[in-house]
Amino acid sequence: MGCASLRTPMVRQVDVLVIGAGPGGYPAAIRAAQLHKRVLLVERDKLGGECLNYGCIPSKALIHTANLVHSIEQAAERGVETGTVKVDMVRLQQWKSAVVQRLSNGVGQLCKGNGVDVLPGNASFTGPDRAIVRTPSGTEEIAFTDAIIATGGRPSDLPAFRFDGKRVLSTKEALELPRIPLNLAVIGGGISGLEIGTFYAKLGTRVVVIEILDQVLPGTDPEAARIVARHLQKLGIEVHTKSQARGWRVDKDQTVIDVLTPEGLIARRADCVLVTVGRRPNTDDLNADVAGVEFAPRGYIKVDRQLRTSNPHVFAIGDVVGPPFLAHKATKEGLTAAEVIAGHPAELDYRALPAAIFTDPEIATVGLQEPEAAAQGRKVRIGKVPFAAIGRALTTGEYDGFVKLLADPASNVLLGATIAGPDASDLISELALGIEMGATIADIALTIHPHPTLPEAIMESAEAALGEAIHVLNR
Amino acid sequence: MAREFKLPDIGEGVHEGEVVKWFVKEGDPIRENDPVVEVMTDKVTVQIPSPVTGKVLQRRAKEGEVVKVGSTLIVFGEAGEAAPSNPAAARATVAPLAPAKSSPPPPPPSSGEALAAPAVRRLAKELNVSLGALRGTGPQGRITEDDVRKSAQTPAMTPKPATSLAAPAAAPMRPAAGGEERIPIHGLRKRIFEKMAKSNVTAAHFTYVEEVDMSQLVHLRDHLKEVAERKGLKLTFLPFFIKSILGALKEFPALNASVDDERGEIVLKKYYNIGIATATEEGLTVTVVHDADKKDLWGLAKELERLSNAAREKRLALEDVLGSTFTITSLGKEGGIFATPIINWPEVAILGVHKIEKRPVVRNDQVVIRDMMYLSCSFDHRVIDGHVGAAFVQSVRNSLEHPALLFVGLE
Repeated sequence: MGCASLRTPMVRQVDVLVIGAGPGGYPAAIRAAQLHKRVLLVERDKLGGECLNYGCIPSKALIHTANLVHSIEQAAERGVETGTVKVDMVRLQQWKSAVVQRLSNGVGQLCKGNGVDVLPGNASFTGPDRAIVRTPSGTEEIAFTDAIIATGGRPSDLPAFRFDGKRVLSTKEALELPRIPLNLAVIGGGISGLEIGTFYAKLGTRVVVIEILDQVLPGTDPEAARIVARHLQKLGIEVHTKSQARGWRVDKDQTVIDVLTPEGLIARRADCVLVTVGRRPNTDDLNADVAGVEFAPRGYIKVDRQLRTSNPHVFAIGDVVGPPFLAHKATKEGLTAAEVIAGHPAELDYRALPAAIFTDPEIATVGLQEPEAAAQGRKVRIGKVPFAAIGRALTTGEYDGFVKLLADPASNVLLGATIAGPDASDLISELALGIEMGATIADIALTIHPHPTLPEAIMESAEAALGEAIHVLNR
Repeated sequence: MAREFKLPDIGEGVHEGEVVKWFVKEGDPIRENDPVVEVMTDKVTVQIPSPVTGKVLQRRAKEGEVVKVGSTLIVFGEAGEAAPSNPAAARATVAPLAPAKSSPPPPPPSSGEALAAPAVRRLAKELNVSLGALRGTGPQGRITEDDVRKSAQTPAMTPKPATSLAAPAAAPMRPAAGGEERIPIHGLRKRIFEKMAKSNVTAAHFTYVEEVDMSQLVHLRDHLKEVAERKGLKLTFLPFFIKSILGALKEFPALNASVDDERGEIVLKKYYNIGIATATEEGLTVTVVHDADKKDLWGLAKELERLSNAAREKRLALEDVLGSTFTITSLGKEGGIFATPIINWPEVAILGVHKIEKRPVVRNDQVVIRDMMYLSCSFDHRVIDGHVGAAFVQSVRNSLEHPALLFVGLE
């Protein structure tokens, strides 16, 4: 009799079950553990998730290297003499993998150091406070007080272009190619498409980009997108907007894709086709409805400002709750959810969600954007300064682009910023802080920015908004 | 057409109120101006009349529940109309999914579009302060940490002693035989908690006690009482105390003042609103005789009677409890010998009057029986020097002992 109970599988009791160890999940798990919860973090692939393993980090490692190659080639006009710069793709990939591995190990150590238990496997709900995890060695039943769904999303493909890992690639495979392709077709002229397309173009690939809307980087300030489009052209990238890829065929062992452009149907050869047309949430294996979790349209999980789903003890964060698909948004949501679970009076309360695009040049945005203000009929005060007016930008040879600040015309309170240009991704944080602090453009203009540096462009554009700029003519 | 009625902005600084009593049930017909609900705020208890004639569709708060200004109290409709679906009820259907667990805490107040830095917004959530209702004192109206703390009426404390004090309280304690009762601190009691603590940690209290021979005034009041009764008025000693204090305040203007600790300024008041500490069922409140110096003895008696009735019947309006410049606390028959009154912060002085009783005293080397009374006056020593406070009390004593002075030379 007594032995019967021993045979039933043991139920693991935890305070917080976190499903997914991406940039949302692992910070949520660590914060919950810091707040004295017993935390179990379940990951079916690698610690760090898509961002660390297949997205942000590997793409930046590669893009930085391509920029280095490009800079060396451009340095000839400054008297730097080199032979042809050659890139050993295999070694580049090894180096990139080492960077990724080092960061992923770091996540594991942080989890361990904070007392987070990590369990590799696939989690799915079996009830409002129950889940099972299928691990490589069997099945474990979990009873949780609270759960955080942080399963992220994955790239979408198209009916005519199904991912096959060989000819039709997602961003993940495109960042793992062992050879530099001769020809690459990119379907979708959004952020990842242009980032990866530019990377390969700089290594010598002939790239064609097909975008269905009327500009690359749809939704981005058109002035900024135009600068990027100009650079794509300079790099020899063929861009077709208002165009649609209809299908692909194999011709003499080469992939040929048919593109319907406003001028008619054209065909382009490509060793491979990168499809970057959006992402969809990873909720298929979760069985979330069993836990009483309700969905919003398009398969995203519905949450409130505290990231709580329709089950008050199940939370969801990151890509799985909808766009924008940004790692730092997921992180913020994860920390907030963990604090709510610990009983803190927390909720999502940010004024500014910055975003960085690693094109050539980079674009970074925060807060209100000019097209958005126009659409809302909102009057704004704008200060804009080109990097060409900034000494430091000229000394680096990269001065295409601008800083644009948007402020409330009555109070001068900073509402938003768009930066296109060198190091835009590093420059935007000052403005994010400014918006969060309720800074006025006068605060920014009156703050001394060291010379000679790129952030002077921020100070200068604040001055321009006030009609007090020195290095551009005020109007 | 259903109409939601929200808790109105009752007055400056009022952010929430506790529903004390409903006068209507769901489904009741209602006429415009009929009383609907009694709401107690931290300053005053008010009856809210119906703005419409029709039917009560839904009550959105239970008795004892604290509601925020601007949140829906009640839904009115026309006769025959059904109640709309209640968002709170819709949420409740989700709860059974996790049956064994407590329901989640309510979300913190939203910071809206208020100009406040992230750390200030987090503090506001922790102290349950709604930033939307705050006026910032920072540049361009930015809300500062201080603004939030002030609004929460939390005296600024260094975190360390706070934690060390909290630690023993957190340890589980076995209640003694007979058990304990835990009473939530809110409404007027919370206000008293905050004001008393604030006064005690802010002002440097010193108390000065003096003895007053009230024989002449007792005689005068006995005589005037009959006159008052003919006028339909009840004449207590309070109007005389007020007259006496007004004279002394005009002689020593520093006592009719408050301290603006934020700006480091002393504010001398050129108007005279005399607060009267009044006991009510809910606790101590200060009713205010506005512009006391513009009233004669009868006017003061009349106003005091009105305030006392209103306090008893819980009909005090916000202006009846706001704006005092100097406060009297009368301990009356339970007066004891002397006390150390706590200043009604941010004022700088408070006068406590004790019971009048016959005591043997020495006059012209003879022991005689006189009507004697003690005065206990507390001052904020930061503002009021010892000799000024003493001189003020002597001035009060003088006019009480020679009541003719109350009616001459005040102007």
